[in-house]
Amino acid sequence: MKKLQQLLPWIVLVLSIVYAGQKLARPEKIDSPFDLNTFRQIPVSAHGRTKPLDTVARNSLMNISGRQSIRTDQGSVSAIEWYIELITSPEASIKREVFRIDHPDVLTLAGLDTEDRTRFSFAELRDVGNEINRQAMLASKVKAKARDPFQRAILVLNQRMMLFSELSQLTSPYLVPPLTVGEDWRSFVSVLNENPQDPDARALLSVLQAFRNNEPDAFNAELKKFRDLVDSHISYDARKSRYEVVFNQVQPFIIASYLFVVAFLFGCFGMLCAQLTKPDWSKSLLASMTAMVWVAFTVMTIGLASRVYLQGRPPITNLYSSAVFVGWFSIIIGLVVDRQMKLGLGGIMASVIGFVSLVVAHNLGNSGDTMEMMQAVLDSNFWLTTHVVVITIGYSATFFAGFMGIAYVLLGVLTKTLDRERGKSMTKMIYGVICFATVTSFVGTVLGGIWADQSWGRFWGWDAKENGAALIVLWNLLILHARWGGMIRDRGLVQLAIFGNIITAWSWFGTNMLGVGLHSYGFTNSAIFWLSVFVISQLAMMSIGMIPMAMWRSKFAKAPPPPVPESTSVQ
Amino acid sequence: MMIRKLLKPVASLKLTVVIFALSIFLIFAGTLVQVHTGIWTVVDQYFRSLVVSIELQIFVPKDIATIPGSIWFPGGLTLGVAMLVNLIAAHAVRFKLKKKRIGIILTHLGVILLLVGEFVTGFAAREGNMTIREGETVNFVEDIRSSEIAIVDQADPVDDLVVIVPEQLIETDTTIVSGLFPFTIEVTEWMPNSQMLGPMQAPESRKGLADTGIARELAALPLPRANGVDGATVDAPSAYVTLMNGEQRIGSYLLSVYVDQPQMVVVDGRTYWISLRFARTYKPYSLHLVDFKHDLFTGTQMARNYSSDVRLVDEGRNVDRDVLIYMNHPLRHAGETFYQASFLRDDAGTVLQVVQNPGWMIPYISCSIATLGMLIHFGIRLVPTLRRRP
Repeated sequence: MKKLQQLLPWIVLVLSIVYAGQKLARPEKIDSPFDLNTFRQIPVSAHGRTKPLDTVARNSLMNISGRQSIRTDQGSVSAIEWYIELITSPEASIKREVFRIDHPDVLTLAGLDTEDRTRFSFAELRDVGNEINRQAMLASKVKAKARDPFQRAILVLNQRMMLFSELSQLTSPYLVPPLTVGEDWRSFVSVLNENPQDPDARALLSVLQAFRNNEPDAFNAELKKFRDLVDSHISYDARKSRYEVVFNQVQPFIIASYLFVVAFLFGCFGMLCAQLTKPDWSKSLLASMTAMVWVAFTVMTIGLASRVYLQGRPPITNLYSSAVFVGWFSIIIGLVVDRQMKLGLGGIMASVIGFVSLVVAHNLGNSGDTMEMMQAVLDSNFWLTTHVVVITIGYSATFFAGFMGIAYVLLGVLTKTLDRERGKSMTKMIYGVICFATVTSFVGTVLGGIWADQSWGRFWGWDAKENGAALIVLWNLLILHARWGGMIRDRGLVQLAIFGNIITAWSWFGTNMLGVGLHSYGFTNSAIFWLSVFVISQLAMMSIGMIPMAMWRSKFAKAPPPPVPESTSVQ
Repeated sequence: MMIRKLLKPVASLKLTVVIFALSIFLIFAGTLVQVHTGIWTVVDQYFRSLVVSIELQIFVPKDIATIPGSIWFPGGLTLGVAMLVNLIAAHAVRFKLKKKRIGIILTHLGVILLLVGEFVTGFAAREGNMTIREGETVNFVEDIRSSEIAIVDQADPVDDLVVIVPEQLIETDTTIVSGLFPFTIEVTEWMPNSQMLGPMQAPESRKGLADTGIARELAALPLPRANGVDGATVDAPSAYVTLMNGEQRIGSYLLSVYVDQPQMVVVDGRTYWISLRFARTYKPYSLHLVDFKHDLFTGTQMARNYSSDVRLVDEGRNVDRDVLIYMNHPLRHAGETFYQASFLRDDAGTVLQVVQNPGWMIPYISCSIATLGMLIHFGIRLVPTLRRRP
């Protein structure tokens, strides 16, 4: 038995590496006589970025239907299959039920309210296209913030139908690459209109014609020719495109999130064993958890590094990537804390925050390309690297302290595991993480001020996002000074740390939701609901923490109060 | 000893925490209120004031509930000074100059400097705009938050004689008299913010309020002052005035910042040019816009970059050179900094923001000191903790 306990972490480590490794190394291939695996690697230009057709197809299908593939009775149709059908045989494609519509009034408007589905075909919507368009025009005259749900829904539907048309008419993305120096990407249609004999456009045209005529051999041969042409002129972009397709298929963040779930379960069982006084098993399970967190962390790092390579930018460029980064850095803190505390809590926290951040990121990324181009003023790798990364580390640390606070409350109230020594060691860790959060959020905020001074001429402009950053700094300072002044002890520290979650979430997302100021580029709409849910849940945690300690299941509070922290006596 | 006793409560950590809490609430409210109110009004009312009246409505969206009433709250100036006093008092009373405390002392020194810097910026910084069309040379900065009536006499072949009537003197039903020009200006209507309407758009009541110059084609309609909602943060004043030469009526005019060209006034055979414009400050240097570029990402309407290729000439400083001003790359010259801020329609010209802030270096210095202090303070404590394996 002892043997198994010692071996388990190693077995888990090897299994996780094998799982992640085979997922990473063997991306799924499309099984088709047409070489669609090569076709989807073709670089194109959309929304100002050079990317593979695969990304365009996935993002467009995601935008229109909320999924990256179509489920039919005959099985699943991948995004690229859908896309090539759309551009070569639109008459078939318009019958595919891809348009997701949820709003009942929109369904009534389209005469589809009797159907028991949520996805509809372009053919079904085409008949009422004019009415949809008219309603969208009416809605677009209302200011964005004042629109009602119907108006928002009709605008979304109209935008999806326009995207569908643009794709099928080949006006977007730009398919003809720059083949001479100084040239830019061109739209396939406009090139053919200007010069029907244009060799580059003709080469692509033969590829598409071969597909339409259902000639796999001709398709594969023409595709190879076209690909070699592109490769010889924009080899760097072509290489990146191929890598991006692999990245799309592998989806490292999804692999990591699965690993986090399993790691979390190991952690929970480990804590349970500690509760049941089976220390050997507890130790073994917690070590297994740590091993899995390490593997998940590695996979996530590969994902982040891939994004950096593909974008040619620092890791954080929008809300989506900030969520990924917060998760990533929290894991680092979690692993450090784990090493210090040996309670397994750091690992559990790491897997929870890692998983939650990836879910948040996944939902933020639903709207389209997560590697979109940036507004002109943000176009500065230096400041993106320094200010944005440091401030996001500050967010991560503040969150981590807050989540440790929650763990403290839950363990204390619900279990008997939180003895005096553990409680002390947890609050020490929370205190340490808050110190770290104070430094990083302060430095990050200051760097933001310097960037603002460089680009707008004022160090501090009282802009919503700047204020949000200042709130985090001030809140952390408040906690530290209250602690130094002896105004709060362990439980107070824990409670204030949990409230720090609310402040951080508000600064991170809430300020964007106001839609004011220079930083309002990350505006998200449905997130308002989730932010409110989060705030309420944190307040609930704090009220649980308010339960008199005599009623906590962990009875450490009955011991005499701990001495005043050493730092106050020095002052 | 006496001073110590007095300072002790002022230096308390409890007070520090209270100031932090009040500041957090003030900043939170000052952020929420920006949904309804323009940033400049908010900065003046909330962050650079002694007290502020915070309307309770800002915490709840209007469509959920209407909440009347407001609370008085200490403003940013009060809290900033309180923080400064608390900090200085704490060092006078509690902190001893010990090696162990060096980090904290440096941090606090940095924070003190930072607060001082914000006061300097609040009182001394000047912001203005320079709007230059391609091919044009401009040697003045406009303050888009105040306006003036300018009367120009071009009789002298070398120098123009310019008389300025600042906005503060202009009000409805006032008469402006000056020995520097031979007519009086009777202000029949002063509009601090306005809208310009064409002959077809103007309602009957606003037609024919003046009979000379552009007033024959255009009419002005008063608007409430810009509060930042709908993106309008700048007031565009207009005025209806009647010019009198003694008892003799010269004509009634519509003056407006919307109108670029001054309007002609002829008195006793002499020509004067009158206009209402944003308040100008003339500079010893000039900027000539060679080219304005507005690059887009391929196939999108999304801006990739804005840049202004300008020629900077300052004879007094022996400067005559080409400069490229673009995003994140301002020009610093003669204590002023020029930023790419905006542009004219159809990319016809550029709008540069010109900032003069004698305290611009203070945040850089203070933040470096504070950061160094924090790193030392927490470094001294954290590193041994991390090294000590349990």
